[in-house]
Amino acid sequence: MSVARRTFIQLGAGATVGILFTPTVWKALDDVSIWTQNWPWIPKLKYGATEAKPTVSKMCESGCAVKVRTVAGEAFGTMGNEDNPLSGGGICPLCANGVQVKNSPTRIKAPMLDGQEISWEKAKEVVTEQLEAAGSKVAFISGDQTGTVNEVFSALLADKGSDAFYVMPGDMQAADKAWTGMMGGTGQIGYDLEGADLVLLAGADALESWGPTVANLKSFAANESGKFLFAGPMQTKTASVTSKWIPVPAEGMAAFTLGIAYYVLQAGKTVDTADFGQFKAMVMGDYSPAKVEAATGVKAERMAALAKDLLTASNPVVVPAGPVAAHGAAFALNLLLGGAMKALPEFGKAVSGAMSRSEMLKADVLEGVNTDLLFVYEANPAYALPEKVKAGFTVAFDCIQTETTASANLVLPTLHPYERFDDLASPYGVADATYSMGAPVCKPSVNAACAATFVLGLADLGFETFEEVLGAKAEAMGADMDSLTGGEAFVVEGETPRAASLAANVLGKAAAPVKGTGAVGLVPYTLLNVGTANRATTPNAPCTISNNQLMGDHMVVMMGSTTAKQLGVSVGSKVKLSGGKGECEALVQIFEGVMPGVVAAPLGLGHTVGDEFSKGKGDNVYKILTVNSEAATGASSWAGSTVNVAKI
Amino acid sequence: MEERKASKRCGGAFPFIIGFLATCVLGWAVIPGLFFVEEEQPIWFSHAVHVDGQGMDCESCHYFRDDGSYAGFPTNEVCAECHAVDPEEAMEAIAEEGIDPNDYDAIMKAEIGAIEDNLASSDEKMMQAEREYVVKYLIQGKEVPWLNYQYQPDNVYFSHAAHMNLSIEELASLKKELSDVVDPSVFEGEAPEQNCNLCHLKDIHLNDEPPAFERNVLSGYSKMTMKMWKCERCHALQGQPNACYTCHK
Repeated sequence: MSVARRTFIQLGAGATVGILFTPTVWKALDDVSIWTQNWPWIPKLKYGATEAKPTVSKMCESGCAVKVRTVAGEAFGTMGNEDNPLSGGGICPLCANGVQVKNSPTRIKAPMLDGQEISWEKAKEVVTEQLEAAGSKVAFISGDQTGTVNEVFSALLADKGSDAFYVMPGDMQAADKAWTGMMGGTGQIGYDLEGADLVLLAGADALESWGPTVANLKSFAANESGKFLFAGPMQTKTASVTSKWIPVPAEGMAAFTLGIAYYVLQAGKTVDTADFGQFKAMVMGDYSPAKVEAATGVKAERMAALAKDLLTASNPVVVPAGPVAAHGAAFALNLLLGGAMKALPEFGKAVSGAMSRSEMLKADVLEGVNTDLLFVYEANPAYALPEKVKAGFTVAFDCIQTETTASANLVLPTLHPYERFDDLASPYGVADATYSMGAPVCKPSVNAACAATFVLGLADLGFETFEEVLGAKAEAMGADMDSLTGGEAFVVEGETPRAASLAANVLGKAAAPVKGTGAVGLVPYTLLNVGTANRATTPNAPCTISNNQLMGDHMVVMMGSTTAKQLGVSVGSKVKLSGGKGECEALVQIFEGVMPGVVAAPLGLGHTVGDEFSKGKGDNVYKILTVNSEAATGASSWAGSTVNVAKI
Repeated sequence: MEERKASKRCGGAFPFIIGFLATCVLGWAVIPGLFFVEEEQPIWFSHAVHVDGQGMDCESCHYFRDDGSYAGFPTNEVCAECHAVDPEEAMEAIAEEGIDPNDYDAIMKAEIGAIEDNLASSDEKMMQAEREYVVKYLIQGKEVPWLNYQYQPDNVYFSHAAHMNLSIEELASLKKELSDVVDPSVFEGEAPEQNCNLCHLKDIHLNDEPPAFERNVLSGYSKMTMKMWKCERCHALQGQPNACYTCHK
């Protein structure tokens, strides 16, 4: 035995030494080291042609004209579309992350009925049954402000005998209520920010979150000789780059605007409407500079100086935001000045029986919705309108999970904007009627479908697919669909606005500042990188959210040092804000760009459903907003919200 | 005592030498071959049929895109320029026949007009290969998963554009220095106009039967995957940068 063992050891030693004189060991080591490049969790690159395909993105409220970068047909990035006037090569922070959202783990992957995955056929059966049972008690809430999908949805409502079509609250709705409702105007109001020589942004955070932000930024950059001024309760990012910030409380914006109108009227400006005399008397009597100063705190001489600037400008424009009265007052002032405010014609309808855009903006969702069957399209009322919406059965169309899809009975995954046909008709604020269209630029990655095509299958609305609807839309306006899907915009120049009335009676009452009973005023503000009412922040955006909005998982509210002293708080204090029917927690930051007596809080945080970038980050300010019914107009508004602040 | 004698008989350097020689032989002649398994391309593709038979040139399928990137393998879109079977029409015909669109054998056996009438080949072997391509890939909307003999991993950025002007004729003067990097036979005879032979299978355009792809069982890479030292050697000889970021972006 010992002989065999020794021989074996010698043989083994020889073999071991011998193998070292061959490439085997070294090659094996080399290959194993290379193998470590191939761990299964390392993503694989896709190889193929790289393209930039034009389409439209609907993640922000106004929508962006974009080019989606693809490799071998798969989207990997988004950039602006320089051929489209809505973009000019720019893109908003939400739409810039379109691909990340498309590939998000929170993407809804298949139709879900009460939490159980079902087929699209089954989903159609369920919705058909619910529609039959609901009769005319059916409603739609759309988160899309600019799409022809709304024609399809409103046509379905008309087919069922309902007119309960709602959009999420916003300036577009307030502007329409003021312009077509109060003042008898036609078309959609627009503002030529590039052509104006003086722009007074009366609360409109135009370079950050108001209107077509990207187009606004391009206009601001192109308008080198124009002067921009910002009025509002907080020195927003927009205000930080304008020539001047005029602190004006949000609820006092209409009175402030009429205070300027006082001087303009005094200078002899007129408008050819039947009630001009009544309007003039109302302004001269009720909104004299002294009265406005007493109500808003804005010095009379400041309003006089602004009026002088506006009167000496050759093409001035006042851009309002906020409640209906603020819009009405600004429109009246613009009509007096005869400047760069425009009225945009509406593009022809594709679906007969559909509502016009103005008709779609009439119903007031803040008054509350209570219906048997509710469709929600890419909107998040469960987050932004807490306790305002009630329905026997809710069908939520969306591409990613939200608070609304989490509480809906039936969830139907929509195609991501890059996977579907969609369009973008005149986002509110543009100076010219502008129409853009997008075709799919990549294949669907989940079992999703086009919401409008699904709805077309529920009733005979004259079309089978949404692509056909868009073809009819292009034909109705005389545009070429191929050019549109190729990224070009169809543009019709904005017209000189004409109003039937200056709504003197209504405006006189509605413009009076009304404030809540809380300790301090609440100024909610929107930053697109933080999110909107319908869309939470996107995967790449959190790193751009500053410590003035979010610190760790805590929301940050800003206030001036005098307000902080009044409330007994300082930088970093943890506070509870109580208002409306809810409460929010936040940390305090001192910023002297917030008016005294006011707390500024960012909207868009505090999601309870979503991805790791939004869920549980900060608190939801929509909970503490107070819905007020505006005097005389009857419109609901969040302006004048106040809160009590307690240190915790 | 007996055991000690036996030990002397079987001991000494002999077993050591036997072991040494055995593993040397195995390590040089046998084991290296075990590192690789041979795999066939997904379908038979003859360069000769396309180049000689149809008069196509290399750029018909392998070309630089407008942005300068290189289209290595042709996509279905390119192939369909000649193999003009309408996928929609073919799938409809398959559905009409009641055949499962994933049952490739059944589709091929069914001799469906929408496919058969549009095949470009005349020879039966070629026709079968074309049929296979059409049924398994073209009408299914799937790209052919060609096996890339010169496969490089994702962490290597190789630009064909940066190498397109290398001249075999000029490099011939470095034949000796490049002997471990480039097949020396590439420098023999008249240098071709294009330099593909430097890295790719020599004279692949004349190839009728695609050679087997030899996959390394450990790394998964091709036997012909160029190792980093080869890239570095050529870069150094050409006075080109060898910094990490040159290839690892």
